[in-house]
Amino acid sequence: MRIEISGLTKVYKGKGRALDDLDLVVPTGMFGLLGANGAGKTTLMRILAGLLRPTAGTVRVGEHDGTARAGRLAVQQILGYLPQDLGVYPDLTAREFLDYIALLKGIDDRAARRRRVGELLEVVALTGDADRRLRGYSGGMRRRVGIAQALLADPRLLIVDEPTAGLDPEERIRFRTLLSQLAGQRTVLLSTHIVDDVAQTCRELAVLASGRLVFRGTVGDLTRQADGRVWTVVTAGPAPTTGTVVSALPHDDGMRYRVVGDSPPAFDASPAAPNLEDGYLALAQKA
Amino acid sequence: MIATARYEMAMMLRKRSMWITNAVIVLLLVLLNVSGWGDALRDPDARNTVASTVFLMNLMLPVGYGSLLADRLIRDSRLGVAPILDATPASPTGRLAGKYLGTCAAAAVPLAVILFGFAAVYSVTAGRPVALAWAALAYAVVVLPAVLFVGAFALTVPLVMPAPLFRVLFVGYWFWGNGISPAVMPTTTQSVLSPAGVYSNQELVGLRDFTLAGPVPGATLNFLRPEATPATAWLSVGVLLAVAALALGVAQTLRTRTTR
Ligand SMILES: Nc1ncnc2c1ncn2[C@@H]1O[C@H](COP(=O)(O)OP(=O)(O)OP(=O)(O)O)[C@@H](O)[C@H]1O
Ligand SMILES: [Mg+2]
Repeated sequence: MRIEISGLTKVYKGKGRALDDLDLVVPTGMFGLLGANGAGKTTLMRILAGLLRPTAGTVRVGEHDGTARAGRLAVQQILGYLPQDLGVYPDLTAREFLDYIALLKGIDDRAARRRRVGELLEVVALTGDADRRLRGYSGGMRRRVGIAQALLADPRLLIVDEPTAGLDPEERIRFRTLLSQLAGQRTVLLSTHIVDDVAQTCRELAVLASGRLVFRGTVGDLTRQADGRVWTVVTAGPAPTTGTVVSALPHDDGMRYRVVGDSPPAFDASPAAPNLEDGYLALAQKA
Repeated sequence: MIATARYEMAMMLRKRSMWITNAVIVLLLVLLNVSGWGDALRDPDARNTVASTVFLMNLMLPVGYGSLLADRLIRDSRLGVAPILDATPASPTGRLAGKYLGTCAAAAVPLAVILFGFAAVYSVTAGRPVALAWAALAYAVVVLPAVLFVGAFALTVPLVMPAPLFRVLFVGYWFWGNGISPAVMPTTTQSVLSPAGVYSNQELVGLRDFTLAGPVPGATLNFLRPEATPATAWLSVGVLLAVAALALGVAQTLRTRTTR
């Protein structure tokens, strides 16, 4: 399923443009969405999920017109959505909550619903806690319930907004692996601040800044943005002042800094191979 | 709609404060008039005894459940569940109706416990089991319309003001619009618009201790107080339900306006 977005603009009342004439094509498979806080990622996802009406522009999801009422409903039939600020009903158990959402998603057959909810509780490793009230769940456990509800109706379009925020490393890796396994014939749109999650799961990605598209391409393309701009330097003196310091590690002779910038931060700095995060930072510097 | 009704009802029933609030109000009503209740339990007039008990219940308990229902609709966004629900293909109108019916049903459960509990005790102490039948009628034509009326406003009004403010205004409204005598100031008390349900209580259940429904000489808004007959009693039930439906319609409009 392909998503075609063109001229998409969203103006919140009394605020600037959250999305500004955005054109973007998201192909089938797993697609990453990066961007600073307030770049417009959540706004875009809420529009795709049919929760928000765009001010201008069009959205096509497969053969459906995502800006018309009938099209939105058709999209919601095949949609799994994990909101960024997700909440649950504290007075239901995880199993009940999932059962309720499954009903709203139209899984009417009771046996099928039970089976599906059981499977997904297993997937998110909550089977043991499934019959406890959600009130007592930790933040990460709630997010796992959120992940489970997004997968309930076997969605062909999966929109996940910072799904791994608050997960422990083991769960985070398990979940991102699950997402890329699911991708296959589906479209999975993943927004995140954890660049590594994109590096490990997506082939293609887009970067938003102030509601505009500033990059679209493969992970390799973005990494190459930092070609010749990554340096490491070991110094006992003050930290480098040019470029962006991406890491600072204690070293026998002081500190070892990794820096992304136009020019070497010191005469004895040595070039280093860039990774996706460097590419992302280099892009931000150029902008 | 059925799914929402079912789960909304379950969640409301699990709210401990709902049971506590009702219990406290009932306890106060009993303690304030212990000897009166003793007499009531021996009164051979089953019809009037049930009716006056229901009158008292319906004058006091809505204050509690009205306040408790006030967070039910707005909490979806406050808790952050709204985006999940709104992204499902389930119809928003169906979900609102389900929420309304489910939470109202839950609010009506403690009322049933109280009313039928009283009627059961009374049938034994007064030897008048027919009280249970009158209680069933009173529940249907006096208690439930009030729940549906109050529930509709408790879901709707907090969309435009904070729930605590609604609670304060609601309590104020309740005693103004159902308690204060129309002889004192303009009010909906004793009119077909009063959810306390004096018309149906008097004409259908048979409240005889005092006459409340009907025109009050010299009062304003008497056009809302037609002669009390069974027909105007049904009219009153109909008016209450119609106003409730209107309030829900407003809620639906407000929600589609703000979420889109
Ligand atoms: N409901 C709203 N009302 C008004 N302005 C909003 C609303 N939601 C978002 N905005 C504004 O729109 C812009 C884009 O916000 P959005 O939430 O889409 O960014 P984001 O990329 O998801 O950010 P983050 O990484 O912090 O989640 C921001 O400037 C924000 O202030
Ligand atoms: Mg966001």
